[in-house]
Amino acid sequence: MRSKTVFQQEFKIKGGDFLNAGESSCKIRNILKEIGIDADIVRRLAIIAYEAEMNVVLYARHGAMYLFVYPDKILLKIKDMGQGIENIDLAMRPGYSTATEEIREMGFGAGMGLPNIKKNADVFKITSKVGKGTALEIIINLNGKNG
Amino acid sequence: MAEISPLHSIKVNKKKCIGCVACMKACPTKAIRIRNQKAKIFYQRCIDCGECLRVCPYNAIVPITTKPSAVDIFKYKIALPSPVLYSQFGHEIMPNEILMVLKEMGFDQVYDEASVCEMINLAIEEYLDENKSPRPIISSTCPVVVRLIQRLFPSLCKHIIPIEPPREIAAKNLRQEISKEKNIPEQEIGIIHITPCSAKMVSINHPETMEKSHLDGALSIREIYNNVMMKLRKEKRPLMLQTQTRISGIGIGWSIPGGEIRGLKYFNSVSVSGLYDTITILEDVESGKLKDIEYLECLICPDGCIGGPLTVENRFIAKSNILRLIRTFGGKKRVDINFVKKLYRDNFFSFEHEVKPKPFAPLDKNRSKAIKKMKLKEKIIKKLPGIDCGVCGAPDCRTLAEDIVRGDAQLKDCIYLRTKKYERKESYGKK
Repeated sequence: MRSKTVFQQEFKIKGGDFLNAGESSCKIRNILKEIGIDADIVRRLAIIAYEAEMNVVLYARHGAMYLFVYPDKILLKIKDMGQGIENIDLAMRPGYSTATEEIREMGFGAGMGLPNIKKNADVFKITSKVGKGTALEIIINLNGKNG
Repeated sequence: MAEISPLHSIKVNKKKCIGCVACMKACPTKAIRIRNQKAKIFYQRCIDCGECLRVCPYNAIVPITTKPSAVDIFKYKIALPSPVLYSQFGHEIMPNEILMVLKEMGFDQVYDEASVCEMINLAIEEYLDENKSPRPIISSTCPVVVRLIQRLFPSLCKHIIPIEPPREIAAKNLRQEISKEKNIPEQEIGIIHITPCSAKMVSINHPETMEKSHLDGALSIREIYNNVMMKLRKEKRPLMLQTQTRISGIGIGWSIPGGEIRGLKYFNSVSVSGLYDTITILEDVESGKLKDIEYLECLICPDGCIGGPLTVENRFIAKSNILRLIRTFGGKKRVDINFVKKLYRDNFFSFEHEVKPKPFAPLDKNRSKAIKKMKLKEKIIKKLPGIDCGVCGAPDCRTLAEDIVRGDAQLKDCIYLRTKKYERKESYGKK
């Protein structure tokens, strides 16, 4: 690790909890703004955090988001206990979705979540075990103008 | 004496302020603290929404608008009332009567803004036709919303429609026309907006999208209300003068929520009013949740401009009056679309420059230090009781923690922690 300076915080997410969905990503956004992260990067991370949070709410039993803010990068880890993804390549394809009719009726599950996360991330890692859960690791680099 | 900031439209009257927490609690951007038993506005955080003005039980928050005497310096004076004015004097008084009374009060000319509202409606449609992203496009009408976005949602600045609101376009057009027609130099024409809120004053003194506003000042509805009411009561005007066919029903609708989107062919548009609902919907836009919405009309006051803090009539009555006027004047288009299209192509409606993000100062300019301060802030929050009593002079415990980290407050400002310390000492002594 290059630097010891890091702000970290954990956010728990409950599967199926539509009432509070989006709250964690909102808190993350406010933290980044207070630290003085550039508006466009906050926006990118806001979209990533929201999509990732919704994935947990839609497809998992429970999960958590871990935010790490370093002077030169932001790391976001999302882990969930849930159904997992059978074919990751397929899941990354825009428009591909395993969402049920019910979820689609609510306006989710358009198959854009993961592609959208990848599009906004500088580094994107995904691992998944069917029946166990999924883990995402996202890095956004900060241009070191204030580092 | 009162604190004044030329950049803002609200000040504290220290003689009246007793240092209660009403305004501090109501402020959406946490711009108010209580210091030495008086409210203190931290102007760099203020967006001029007027919430403090609304909630103050002691009338100690004072709006700053143009003084009537300051209007007299102009050779040719034009009143440009917000259509909200039409809703303030009961349902029997027609817009034309109100315009006539305004003229009698010393204006050389009065101009109805509603027809320009209708023009802007068409311009918005042109813009949406030509620009398919980003979405949603957000209205620029409410100056507080523009400032809210600059401050709290800086990444959404590019969502604001780069078209000036009706009051500015009306003034721009009037100045050119009158100057030519009456052969008066442009600077000798004074165009005064009659406003339901003090935020318009800030957008006139310090516009965010152009060098200089086309308006020269703003009188508050409250300030002229008594005068207009008395004149309206005194003499009944001839009936034929009371109805004016040129007034646009579509334009009058702009003073209540939905006015901007009612006429749009883009049905997937949304109208939001009220401070907290506006913040909530902008949060959703920032998450990328609302990409399928075409146009978003946000008005900071409850029920839109008729709920402005400088209006007089109860906003529900005012709304009913506006709905009645919309019915009277109808939804018939009174503006020539080809004329608007030409003006649009000539950039007559456009911003001079885009809205620039103006985020709040971070905890520290140095990112490493900011991260450390953020950690410290979380630590302090855990120590504080979290009951948000406000006695420390900050609106809530989180904000006190932030103030401490920034060096503007101390942990001992928390009365809860102080009492606890005292109790510990007491019980220690008894043993």
